[in-house]
Amino acid sequence: MPLPARRTLPTLALALIPRAVALNLALGAVVGALKLPVYLDSVGTILVAVLAGPWAGVITGIVSNSVLGLLVSPALFAFIPVAIVIGWLAGIAGRAGAFASLAGAIAAGLVIGVAAALASAVIVIALMGGLTASGTGILTIAIRATLGVSVDSAAKIAAIATDALDKPLSCVLVYLVLERLPRRLSARFRRATA
Amino acid sequence: MTSALDRWNPLTPLAAAVAMVLAAFAGPQPYAPVLVLAVALLVAIASGIGFKVTALTALVVLPAFALLVLLAAAFPDAATAQRQWVPSRAAVLDALAVSLRLGAAIAALGVVVVGVAPRRLTRALAARGLPAWAAYLVIASLEAVPDARRRADDVIDAQRCRGVPVGKGTGMRGRLRALPALAGPLIVGLVTESEERALALDARAFDPRASRTALAPIADPSAERWARRVIWLALAAVIAWRLREFAQSLTIT
Repeated sequence: MPLPARRTLPTLALALIPRAVALNLALGAVVGALKLPVYLDSVGTILVAVLAGPWAGVITGIVSNSVLGLLVSPALFAFIPVAIVIGWLAGIAGRAGAFASLAGAIAAGLVIGVAAALASAVIVIALMGGLTASGTGILTIAIRATLGVSVDSAAKIAAIATDALDKPLSCVLVYLVLERLPRRLSARFRRATA
Repeated sequence: MTSALDRWNPLTPLAAAVAMVLAAFAGPQPYAPVLVLAVALLVAIASGIGFKVTALTALVVLPAFALLVLLAAAFPDAATAQRQWVPSRAAVLDALAVSLRLGAAIAALGVVVVGVAPRRLTRALAARGLPAWAAYLVIASLEAVPDARRRADDVIDAQRCRGVPVGKGTGMRGRLRALPALAGPLIVGLVTESEERALALDARAFDPRASRTALAPIADPSAERWARRVIWLALAAVIAWRLREFAQSLTIT
């Protein structure tokens, strides 16, 4: 379906999105090298959303999870709605000026993290019985064991605990990158997406 | 890579896979997922991609099954059951039901993911009206991934040489401090590169809305077009049947 006339992505955004998708995957190498307990697999999506707006963020999220599904595991197709939530909220936060300060970026990351966690918990509960074969799955078991809550509640708490660390850190990275980005380039994005 | 599925128009295995995933969840349980899983694995084996699809499925399903059984056995509802390290029959059956549905979906999509070249699939979708911008995004993303991974490794090596603390022996705070030094150059490099790519697209008068004419169109025989229609009809029938059952259950309660 063609994009509505008002929502045509500028060429600059079209050129950035594939690099952002690749970034979502490539940052896994950095996380692996530093052995950090986070994913950082949405930095590219958040960056595009802040630079080019919510619509571009949504498209980046869809393409990113589709490419991940093709390259890593088809299970990741199921999490496309989560990527849409992240892209849309990051774009809204960017338009609201949240990424103009470090505190704003952290606050945006917390909001995005909670929303993404709730969206992913719904998918994990509906399709996978509340558990994924990942660190979050182990955390779900640990939460159920220690707090004695139901699997569904444990899955939601585990998702929020994971994303409440991951998304603010992703947003801080985006904020630091925006600070270091050549002003000429940021201005080009602003002009292209105005 | 090539597989026996390359003889088909990529839209046909894609339609079959999507229908099989939905059938595994909407069809009668546990027969539908068992049937979908068996058919997907048989198709994969017949197409010469049996090992890859089986491995892909097992990598997701076996840990999920083990975790679900562990969860049910070791940490049952506090109000209703005692902790028991040998899982109950009901717990195993529940875990099996979830894992079978998941396995059926992964195997069905895995046949397409492993057996159909993404570039060919995108060309077939473009021939059916996928706009140029969407086709460009998928193809360019797939091509950008290996380059970005290589660049990430280069940045990690370069920063390690400059003394940025990476790996064992570094505390969590030190590793978090090292994150901008490793991720920053990678992200800034990819963003600035996108400006050059945008110039190249503009120079070629790239029109995001245009539908492109393929140099070598992918054949779409009428038999396959009919097969896809039958697949969608069968799927609609399964969903309608399940909705009817759901409506009846609401009436009874």
